[in-house]
Amino acid sequence: MEQVIDQETIDLLLIEQLQDSPAPLLKILHAFHERDGYISETALRAVSKSMGVPLADLFGTVTFYHHFSQQENGFNKPRVCTGPVCRLNGGQECLSALAEQGATSMPCAGRCDEPVPVLIGNEQWVGDAQGKLTRKSTPLPPVNPGKIEECVFAQIREPERGTLPGYRRTGGYEGLTRAVKEMTPKDVIEHIKASKLAGRGGAAFPTGVKWQAVADAPGEPKSIVCNADEGEPGCFKDRAIMDYDPFAVIEGMTLAGYATGAARGIIYLRYEYPETNLLLEKAIADAYAANLLGKNILGSNFNFELYVRRGGGAYICGEEGSLLNSLEGKHPFPRNRPPFPVTHGFENLPTAVNNVETLAAAAQIMRHEPEWYTKLGLNGHAGTKVVSLSGDVQRPGNYEVPFGLPLKTLLYDWAGGPKPGRTFQAVTMAGLSGGFLAGEDLETATIDEPSIRSKGSMLGAAGMIVLDDSRDMIAVTHNAMEFFAHESCGKCFPCRLGTQRLTERLSGEGPMQLQVWLEEVNDMNAAMKSFSACGLGMAAPLVIESLIKQFPARVQEFVEKR
Amino acid sequence: MADNELTMKLDGKDVPFTQGETIFDIAQRNDVFIPTLCFDPRLKPFGSCRMCAVEVKGIKNPVASCTTAATAGMEVNTVTEVLEKHRKTLLEMVVSENRELEVSPLRGVASQELSILVEKYGAKTGRFKGAQSGHSRLDDKNPFILRDYDLCISCYRCVRVCAEQEGDYAISVMNRGFHTQITTEFNLELRSSACTFCGQCVQTCPTGALADKKALRHA
Repeated sequence: MEQVIDQETIDLLLIEQLQDSPAPLLKILHAFHERDGYISETALRAVSKSMGVPLADLFGTVTFYHHFSQQENGFNKPRVCTGPVCRLNGGQECLSALAEQGATSMPCAGRCDEPVPVLIGNEQWVGDAQGKLTRKSTPLPPVNPGKIEECVFAQIREPERGTLPGYRRTGGYEGLTRAVKEMTPKDVIEHIKASKLAGRGGAAFPTGVKWQAVADAPGEPKSIVCNADEGEPGCFKDRAIMDYDPFAVIEGMTLAGYATGAARGIIYLRYEYPETNLLLEKAIADAYAANLLGKNILGSNFNFELYVRRGGGAYICGEEGSLLNSLEGKHPFPRNRPPFPVTHGFENLPTAVNNVETLAAAAQIMRHEPEWYTKLGLNGHAGTKVVSLSGDVQRPGNYEVPFGLPLKTLLYDWAGGPKPGRTFQAVTMAGLSGGFLAGEDLETATIDEPSIRSKGSMLGAAGMIVLDDSRDMIAVTHNAMEFFAHESCGKCFPCRLGTQRLTERLSGEGPMQLQVWLEEVNDMNAAMKSFSACGLGMAAPLVIESLIKQFPARVQEFVEKR
Repeated sequence: MADNELTMKLDGKDVPFTQGETIFDIAQRNDVFIPTLCFDPRLKPFGSCRMCAVEVKGIKNPVASCTTAATAGMEVNTVTEVLEKHRKTLLEMVVSENRELEVSPLRGVASQELSILVEKYGAKTGRFKGAQSGHSRLDDKNPFILRDYDLCISCYRCVRVCAEQEGDYAISVMNRGFHTQITTEFNLELRSSACTFCGQCVQTCPTGALADKKALRHA
């Protein structure tokens, strides 16, 4: 008798295949999204049933992510970036041109150095204002003109650096080999501490101290989580690192595993980088085959397993509590702190959450003495920072700068200054989260946290969007606030309500009198900065604050001439 | 006992506490009023409304008292000019999304919580006008629970009580940010969900967005 396997059995088998590895839910959702072209009700029922997740929770969680489509064939419809830099470069026009194909917009997709990124299924394209699409690889970081020594980018332009033989030929795995063969985990932590490496995702927490805390925390297994959810508009550095130097990230994670005693690592990669996902999967497979991952790494008794998990499209998942909830298959709201991930992280166990750039830097630092790294910085600042520079500038791109470099050196000498006939009006800091610097500050700021903070902003992950004198700063600020409102998770009241009300006020609604308009905006800003539960709500006011501070006349004109 | 007794300073007064108690718990025990909208003593601390934020000496930003455990020697101020101003602003923002504040007490036991706070802080000022969030599900034909989400302030007490107290997991949160909405699986009516009509969600709702339809017949 012929046996027919019904759809439910097939679905359950698919889930079963993926269910046993860590953080399975995202992987399972992607499998259905790609197989069916959307996430169907049938698929969610099967996932709920076999994983024991309440259906209402699962449904709610799937709707949280921007990219998981619940419409038939939604997966294959183009998504066009309409982030702040793409808006300056034909993003909206590209979206309109592709409307017939069912295109929808997506927030900044991290290709601001060569816009406009368009995602079709798992293919990454570059579009123009006419909707013409081209396949292009990620731009390589430009060489700096002064031949200033780099750390993270030191070998990134070497041919075949992205392959295991190419990586090893150019110094790759020297650091891990040294660590595993010659140093104790404690030595590695002391080495990283002495280098003064700090979190390059923006928070600048000392990396060695974090690793120490994980090493000291009770509970097994421990985890290393690489935060590759680069979602801040104007930030595209992690993409370049992962695309051209994936083994540096893998080596950095393995080192972190050795130092902390973590047995497993997970790279949490943003949805918008599917081709990076493939590169990482291939690199991980090659590392396993060469005994650089898995059991008895490099002949030692150190074991480390590594996995990649792709997000579903949510800026807030770059916040580490949200990220961990997302990995665990929960609704990705931020977690209340304390406790911190170093003691209560992935699956409530000790976890080091490190940014891509931090881990790539750690791999390089282990090849050298700690002082080598420290001395790369200028004027007493330790080390380097990759700056993602985009917008109205001659040569946008990822530049690795020594901390303490004057901002104007980067803007003029390295990146070629403004476009012909134009002048710089403002430069955003920390992507959008730091608001922007303008006027005198552009002349006097140096690229380091103390200098940028002294000007009322922050360096953060060091995305900088340049805006020349042709841009309307109200429109730029409105676009930024719209992004924060779109990405607000909806948990805490000040952020959920504040980002919405501020967006409305920047779109021309709200009180007609300047004084009243300003009072409303300032009161909301103050409440958000002081009462919000996470960095999103605390930082969102900075962009409108800097607008009011730097461009008061334009604000007055905007409010009064409606 | 006196040797290992933990104490903290609450509004200038030394108060004892036990390990693990939150600032909010301690304040309640000492009859110190801290405003809140998302707190329900039966539920795990959630920390979303931020109304209960208090100042802690040595910490730059105010912390949510409902999610912050007290530590020995901690110095907490629950009422300062700045805190009260932010609380009022926040309430004005909440009012700006809620369509009406005066609802029948017959809607549910907690239904007056928001309006009482708004009254206390004089927050019905009409500031921050803008788009409305939430959509009532008056199409839901179940005979027990009115789902008047026009009045919802997204505190998720209903979702949490359903999960934590009843274990039904019938409702959840869909979308995000300003567009969050209380939902069931696939946004169906309650009768098609895991809801058992226990009514816990109605009784924890601080705005009357959820109401007892049978009780309202007497309204």
